Amino acid sequence: MTIDPQSLLAALSDPTRFEVLSRLTESGPVSATDLARDLPVSRQAIVKHLNALSDAGLVERRQSGREIHWEYSAGSLDDLARWAQTVGSEWDRRLERLKRELD
Amino acid sequence: MHDQTNDPDGVSIERSIDLESAAQTVWEHLTDGSLAGIWMDGEMSIVPRVGGKITVNSPDAAEVWGTVEQVTERERIQWSWRTDDGMPTLVEIEIVPRGSGTRLTVRETLLPWRVSGPDGYWEGPVASVAGAATVSLAA
Repeated sequence: MTIDPQSLLAALSDPTRFEVLSRLTESGPVSATDLARDLPVSRQAIVKHLNALSDAGLVERRQSGREIHWEYSAGSLDDLARWAQTVGSEWDRRLERLKRELD
Repeated sequence: MHDQTNDPDGVSIERSIDLESAAQTVWEHLTDGSLAGIWMDGEMSIVPRVGGKITVNSPDAAEVWGTVEQVTERERIQWSWRTDDGMPTLVEIEIVPRGSGTRLTVRETLLPWRVSGPDGYWEGPVASVAGAATVSLAA
């Protein structure tokens, strides 16, 4: 498992970038040009956001002929949820044992 | 400098438990490896001072190892740790008197991993990581 929590959180914290991500979760693979048509930012800015989302493992790029299409990827958010679940239940068990030991 | 050790921002889980024992007893069960190993469920060694080493070897889990980051006797201890292939995290345990007993709170926070180290993973205490976190946020 390889989450970089900082880049993941940073990727989610920008409103425009979050909007780009939200669009991708609703649509299939789309190009930066398609996204720029729907959002009030330049295609260049969209590409920058897509690259940041890609670095955080939230989107994947696919070459489709001459075009690049972008697709939502749930991987790193799933990893994060799994991490919280695993580590949380580890501490639940440890603290239960500590209580049994002490009380 | 951003005080990441006192106020870790990022992804964390937190658990609390009320105990009947006084702070001194709870503290001993945190900082004496042979006592802590019982409830941490493994062979544990800990040197409870800043820079001290901590390791836990459990029968059915990978070895976890790290460094003690902060110690306030009977109140709070922090360490950073990781497994060989796992993600580095910061563990912060706090003991607060409550009635005749105590409330213990543990918080574990994911640390940035794209730092130095031969395998691309973080190594060493959090102090060396705080700057990297800033870089990664600014990027």
